[in-house]
Amino acid sequence: MTAWKNSRGADFRLRRTSVRRCGSGTKTPCPEGRLLKPCAALLLVLCAVATGLAETRPHYGGTLRVEVQESIEAPDPPQTGPGIADLFNAFAITRWESGRRAVFAADDNAAGGRPYIDTVDVEMGRPPREQAIALDTGKADIVQIEPADLRRQPPGRKIWSSSPVRLVALVFSGYQEPRIREALALAVDRAAIYRVLLQGQGDISGALLPQWLSGYAFLFSAAGDLPRARALAASAPPAARVLTLSVDNPSLRSIADRIVLNAHDAGLAVSIVPSGASVRLVQTRVISADPNRALPAIAAALGLPEPPRADTPEALYNAERGLLEGFRAIPLFHLPDVYAVSPRVKGGPGITPLGEWRFENLWLEGGRQ
Amino acid sequence: MTFRTRLLLIFTIAVVASVGIVEWVGSDTTRESFERAESQRVNALVAQFQKEFDRRKQGIVREVNGIAGSDAMLNLTLATDYAPNYDDAPPIAAAHGLGLLELVAGDGSIISSAEWPARFGYKEDWLLSRDNWRSLGAFLKREELPDGVTLALVAVATVNAGDRTLYIVGGQELDRQFLSTLVLPSGMRALLYRNLSERFSAAELIDSSGPVARSAPLQPLVESVMAQPRETTRTIGTGATAETFHALPLLGYENNLLGVLLVGSSRRSLVELETSLRTTGIVVAASGILMGLILAWWATARITRPVRRLAESAGKVAAGNWNTTVEIASGDEIGQLATSFNRMTHELVEQRERLVQTERVAAWRELARRLAHELKNPLFPLQITVENMQRAREGYPEQFDEVFREGSQTLLAELANLKQIIGRFSDFAKMPAPEMQAVDFNALVRETMKLFEPQFANAHVAARTQLDPRLGSVSADPEQMTRALRNLILNAIDAMPGGGTLTVRTIALGPGVRLEVSDTGQGLTPEECDRLFTPYYTTKTHGTGLGLAIVQSVVSDHKGKISVDSKPGQGTTFRIELG
Repeated sequence: MTAWKNSRGADFRLRRTSVRRCGSGTKTPCPEGRLLKPCAALLLVLCAVATGLAETRPHYGGTLRVEVQESIEAPDPPQTGPGIADLFNAFAITRWESGRRAVFAADDNAAGGRPYIDTVDVEMGRPPREQAIALDTGKADIVQIEPADLRRQPPGRKIWSSSPVRLVALVFSGYQEPRIREALALAVDRAAIYRVLLQGQGDISGALLPQWLSGYAFLFSAAGDLPRARALAASAPPAARVLTLSVDNPSLRSIADRIVLNAHDAGLAVSIVPSGASVRLVQTRVISADPNRALPAIAAALGLPEPPRADTPEALYNAERGLLEGFRAIPLFHLPDVYAVSPRVKGGPGITPLGEWRFENLWLEGGRQ
Repeated sequence: MTFRTRLLLIFTIAVVASVGIVEWVGSDTTRESFERAESQRVNALVAQFQKEFDRRKQGIVREVNGIAGSDAMLNLTLATDYAPNYDDAPPIAAAHGLGLLELVAGDGSIISSAEWPARFGYKEDWLLSRDNWRSLGAFLKREELPDGVTLALVAVATVNAGDRTLYIVGGQELDRQFLSTLVLPSGMRALLYRNLSERFSAAELIDSSGPVARSAPLQPLVESVMAQPRETTRTIGTGATAETFHALPLLGYENNLLGVLLVGSSRRSLVELETSLRTTGIVVAASGILMGLILAWWATARITRPVRRLAESAGKVAAGNWNTTVEIASGDEIGQLATSFNRMTHELVEQRERLVQTERVAAWRELARRLAHELKNPLFPLQITVENMQRAREGYPEQFDEVFREGSQTLLAELANLKQIIGRFSDFAKMPAPEMQAVDFNALVRETMKLFEPQFANAHVAARTQLDPRLGSVSADPEQMTRALRNLILNAIDAMPGGGTLTVRTIALGPGVRLEVSDTGQGLTPEECDRLFTPYYTTKTHGTGLGLAIVQSVVSDHKGKISVDSKPGQGTTFRIELG
């Protein structure tokens, strides 16, 4: 076990409610406008109501149990990026088990003030099914779910969803036949995948940046054209029609299977392999709300050339179009980060539109446990 | 081949043939019986397999109907959006033990597929081709899977709610796992050929462990069923590795041939049984043959012993022992033959004694006649001479001296003649034993012929010799052989009183020699030829009749053979063979 200090500066400190320390050492939340004034006349009338309201009032204590599908295999916890790295704003890591578990403790000296929650216990690499069971049985407070599972959640379940910040795309690595790349781009039936596998969550996209961020994503066509895909495939040498596909994220496997089927319809023989494939189905994310920063980051994540600096939307559009020329990267969807949240977690949403964790404002029903 | 050997051979052939026929008939009958039983067993097992196959079909139909009867399927039928149900099929298929399950909307589009989840939205138009799928039961169908085409046993059920229809297509893949779940008795195996390509593909012939290693021997059987889909039985292989395969065509719902099920039954047990029977048969046959040979040996010995004795006795008789008799040990045909043989030899002895006696008397008579004849000729001049001398002394004393002198000379000449006659008889009686030495017969002939040249000239006989240059020395007595040759030459000259040609030949006969003396005289009759060598027999008006008898005696003493070849008017050839 390793003790960690928050290394982040004041720029990341958020506005926080004031904290009044009690003599017992326990922390009682006292948000503005919510102090009950002793009023004898209303005391009896509001007694019962006050009891109920006490449950909704922020209070300190407790362990927030979070389960995510991602498994970070690193000797040290990540300091940047969404997710676990966001906890360093207000928490200090106390335990790191690479790929399995991370435990954070509230930082009394956090810039925005001490979080309500004492501890955040993050379990990594949890399969979706086990996450769902843990949430249903109360063993987890926040679990990461796939957009496709959103419609399967029971009625009334609290869901936190970000904007579509995750880009799902096909990326060719070292494959030199542009006709086949274009044929595959035209063969993928995005609409069927979106409707069934993604259950209508996120956006179909032919662009790297999501529509909500760039405003011009609709200009990139995402429509399929199977006859043209067949014609392009037929015009290529037979050896070029044989492709291998790898999937970085297991949750994208069903999409990959459908792509294989679509490719088969277009006359391409695509087989899924563990690694070393000619084309990869990858997932990357928008790391900034500034499109001028987000596009180079996505290009770098996909192995595309760095786009030129764009000062205007038109220049940014042209830069993105330049990246997509030649179909070395085929954007497919933009998906949101989605979390299912236990009813005992209060004060949310605990994520930003970019999918960043903001757990310092959360508290748990029942407080310290 | 002796009579006993021949008899033994006949007995042996009879025994071997009998045992072989019995063994063959027994073995053939037994094999037919066991093959009939084996065929019945295979048929029973095939029927059992078909029953198991039908049970699987019924199981699939039951499960598919069970799924169709669930509330979930009714709700799905009524659903307005199938997208949330795209992964319903895998858990339902697992719960019902089905490897294949597709939930298909009324328009034929796949809502959810357990075997190929990515195929949602694709069309299964074949489902729209008929209405009463439930009555069809389970049937075979080509099924496309992510890793290729396979053969599946499927059933279709429909759920109808109002004007909406939901198809449930469930089943199991006919693969090696399916074959491994079939209960087959020992010695049997089930193979499946999946008719997924136009031509025979060895990779599609599988058993419970995967593709069949040696599929080539089965290819003709599979191809024959593919050409004409009907149940076919064929035995493949030889010996203990042979198998009888019962091929069942597997048809789809459109009666198209989708597969061939091969139920193989090993013939190992049958072959082992046949081998055991054959081994036992061989042992029994060998024992029988051995016993038969021993009995045949004993029987032939018993049967041929008196015959052999008869043969030996006959041989002794042939060798001159005419007093030979055979022991009579039985009263059967062999005993009667022995009795007859003994009687024959007894009569032969008596006849020979009578013949000898007769010949001896005849010989003496002939000798007396010859002696009288030979002696009478010289005696008559002697008597005349003596009477002349007496008459001269009494009547003509002055001429007595003259008469006496002439008479004395005549007497001496006739006495010399008598002496010569007596000498020839004496010589014949006292033929010496031959003194054998190496003799050059060609030289002997040349020298002898030279001595007779004056006589040939006087008799107008042309003498010729044909001498074989290959002839070497032959063991013989040169004096006696010269004497025999002289007699033959003299005989030939006498046979040609008007002249002719005399030819003497020598011919090499291996280590021996053939000597031939031919004349061109008037020849001899067969009767004369038969008596030619009898002593004192002659066809001439002069001579003692001892010449050819002496020749025969010489040849006989040399262990040789003499024969005569003659026909009246064509000359005569005497032939002597030595060696």
